[in-house]
Amino acid sequence: MNQAEFAGRCTRFLNAQPHMRKLGIRLISAEKGKAVLVLPVQPQLMSAVLDTYLHGGVLTTLVDAASSVSTLCALERFELCPTLDLRIDHMRTPVQSQPLYVSAECYRVTRSVLFTRASVYQEDAERPVAYAIATFMRPEGGQTDSAFSRLIEGGDDATVA
Amino acid sequence: MQQLLDLVRQAHDSGDYQPLVDLIPYARVLGVQCECYGEEIIFRLPANADNIGNPTIPAIHGGVIASFMELTALFQLTLQLPQPGLAKIIDFSLDYMRAGLDRDTFAICDVSRQGRRVGNCSVLAWQERKSKPIAQARAHFLLDAGAASQIMS
Repeated sequence: MNQAEFAGRCTRFLNAQPHMRKLGIRLISAEKGKAVLVLPVQPQLMSAVLDTYLHGGVLTTLVDAASSVSTLCALERFELCPTLDLRIDHMRTPVQSQPLYVSAECYRVTRSVLFTRASVYQEDAERPVAYAIATFMRPEGGQTDSAFSRLIEGGDDATVA
Repeated sequence: MQQLLDLVRQAHDSGDYQPLVDLIPYARVLGVQCECYGEEIIFRLPANADNIGNPTIPAIHGGVIASFMELTALFQLTLQLPQPGLAKIIDFSLDYMRAGLDRDTFAICDVSRQGRRVGNCSVLAWQERKSKPIAQARAHFLLDAGAASQIMS
């Protein structure tokens, strides 16, 4: 698959999920085994009384989403892989005035398990606010709920992002 | 000037924890609720169409479950070990055990203190019954996050 095909699959995957639409989480780029996502600045996540801990919990949702999207870029066919575990280390407190980016990589694919790592940053990718690792379980025999598969793999225009 | 400690006291006095929960915008977006039974605090995430990940099952987004549990730990800490500022998360680790279906989800958190500055939280989330958890999590928080996380207005 080429970059445009990966991007199309990832975008359809994000758009198919009501919670991703609610937060406006979108794909910035996708390539073999890798994806970059963004959580835009938005009024519903802004606090007037707190000057910190702005992204309380929402960073976790973003990381889970990006790790999952990176697995789509590591597989030839779409497989719905449930998360087994997720671990996040927080190094800095993100600020609410800037978007939150996450760059995720699926660095190892085995018959049963996918391994991912991700870093979360704002202005400077070299100064991450958090690191995360996760593992995902591949469905037995590659079987994925067909209705959801069709939604993600699209029809003849599957390459159009 | 509204202080976090005042909010905690008011919540304990009135039994209405929503003003405290609503301090975190994302908790409000998710629809997190807090119910107190004696000394036991149970957090509830009511079924919400906007919290769905996979629409064909339908199942709650995995990140929503994770965030709900992280927020549960934060609020439990705030209520149990009140500090002038909100605790700051250091790390979070989650095991998913079952798919979270499109129904109410519950969570409780056990807090133990690790020294003077760190709170160690273990969180359990379930739907139909507690003995069939959908996920369990562990998290460390820095308790006195200092002036940076003081409530300002």
